[in-house]
Amino acid sequence: MAPKLEISGLSKRFGDLEALRDINVAVERGEFISVVGPSGCGKTTFLRMVAGLEPATSGSILLDGALLSGPGRNRGFVFQNDSLMPWRTVLANALVGPELAGRVGDGERKRTLDLLQLVGLGGFESYFPRQLSGGMRQRVNLARALAIDPDVLLMDEPFASLDAQTREIMQTELLRIWEQGRKTVLFVTHQIDEAVFLSDRVLVLARRPGRLQENVKIELARPRTLAIKRTPEFIAYVDRIWTMIEHDVRAAVIDEHG
Amino acid sequence: MFEVVRQRFLAGTVSVVAGLLLWELVSRLVVANPLFLAAPSQIVQAIYHLTLTGEMGRHVAVSSIEFAIGYVIASIIGIAFGFGMANSVGFKQALQPWISGFYATPTIALAPLFILWFGIGIWSKVLVVITLVLFPVTINTEAGLRTTSDRLVEMLRSFGANERQIFFKVSLPSALPFILAGLKLGIGRGLIGVVVAELFGSRAGLGRLISESADAFNMPELFAGVIVLAVAGIAMTAGFTALERRLVPWTKD
Repeated sequence: MAPKLEISGLSKRFGDLEALRDINVAVERGEFISVVGPSGCGKTTFLRMVAGLEPATSGSILLDGALLSGPGRNRGFVFQNDSLMPWRTVLANALVGPELAGRVGDGERKRTLDLLQLVGLGGFESYFPRQLSGGMRQRVNLARALAIDPDVLLMDEPFASLDAQTREIMQTELLRIWEQGRKTVLFVTHQIDEAVFLSDRVLVLARRPGRLQENVKIELARPRTLAIKRTPEFIAYVDRIWTMIEHDVRAAVIDEHG
Repeated sequence: MFEVVRQRFLAGTVSVVAGLLLWELVSRLVVANPLFLAAPSQIVQAIYHLTLTGEMGRHVAVSSIEFAIGYVIASIIGIAFGFGMANSVGFKQALQPWISGFYATPTIALAPLFILWFGIGIWSKVLVVITLVLFPVTINTEAGLRTTSDRLVEMLRSFGANERQIFFKVSLPSALPFILAGLKLGIGRGLIGVVVAELFGSRAGLGRLISESADAFNMPELFAGVIVLAVAGIAMTAGFTALERRLVPWTKD
């Protein structure tokens, strides 16, 4: 079977800075893939390029064999910040995708309400964002991306601004939701244990220039619970990936603070 | 919570009542000269009297029309200018020095000139109101549109929104609180404009009533004009606050 998402020779330059060099990845349908790497490795740029928010300098991205250029409703983007519209209710925020496509009927409304239920926001549809906690806002953010029923879900460090406990809950919630529909997911994070916990495969990027360093297949049984994080297999995966990027991370820290 | 609100309301009421009482006592016992100060009770009487003879109605009608025409024209042009400036760098650069200059200038000093040009009828006053209201509305509209969050624009773009959708779904709602604040600011400035322009020369209007009363040393009627203006200003501002609560509830807690 042809891959769902086929990325070949993808490169990006910002002026003199080479952000990404020759990325080649094939993503299978329903696969959950995480992208990790030190800051400055271009992982967010990579995701934004797949979303069509950033043009590629060279290379191509194929979705179901069709070349992507620019944003489209076949990809749902979950932002790091919740980027909810403060003047809209939870439901109106979640419905923005279908609305932009010019179709908000009773069917869409019903489906989106079901999605809010699925992400654990049943009964909160008429609340305003300022009345919600950070974790709840990220749930809206996720429901909004799912509301357009995308082929691929693109998630850019969606839990980075949450506290540690909320974060763990949201990871299990995300897996629960993902098990329902098994969407193809590209998940960017700087948290290695989060990547291992969620993914079928972890792409490890190196920096300067950003390039694919390793492709780690995570063979842990699903469905997974938080308990798995204490197993030796899990810890071995995290250690292995950490060793791969440790040198780069130290260099990045010195760049930023030195 | 409810108790706190009631206490605040109570404090305000007590303060106003005490102030009026003090005013009444001072004007009756200390100044005791109707040529210099009118007591609140005399002002109420004067308002009642002027209303019965229909004179108050006439003045209020003229001032209201001048204010309304000027305010509406200034709001429309101001919002349009603000949009233009937010959307076109050239337009902004061409307009900015004029806007900044006029906003800082006490353009009310030009009222005698406008009266010379347009006569003592309503149009000279309308023009004064326009020059006073236009600039805060323009500045606020432009500032409001500029505060549009890049994150929200990017979010909409990721869902395939076009420029028109971005404008109506993000830029406009983000700017709305600022536009309303500019319009609210315009109320006070516009009222001052009407009255001062009428003082310089007019046939009717609250400014006319005030200047006539001053010439005749009729303090109760002078204060009657001032009080009606104050009430109008307070009422319109309160109306606007209510409108804000309805239109932009997310900016309030």
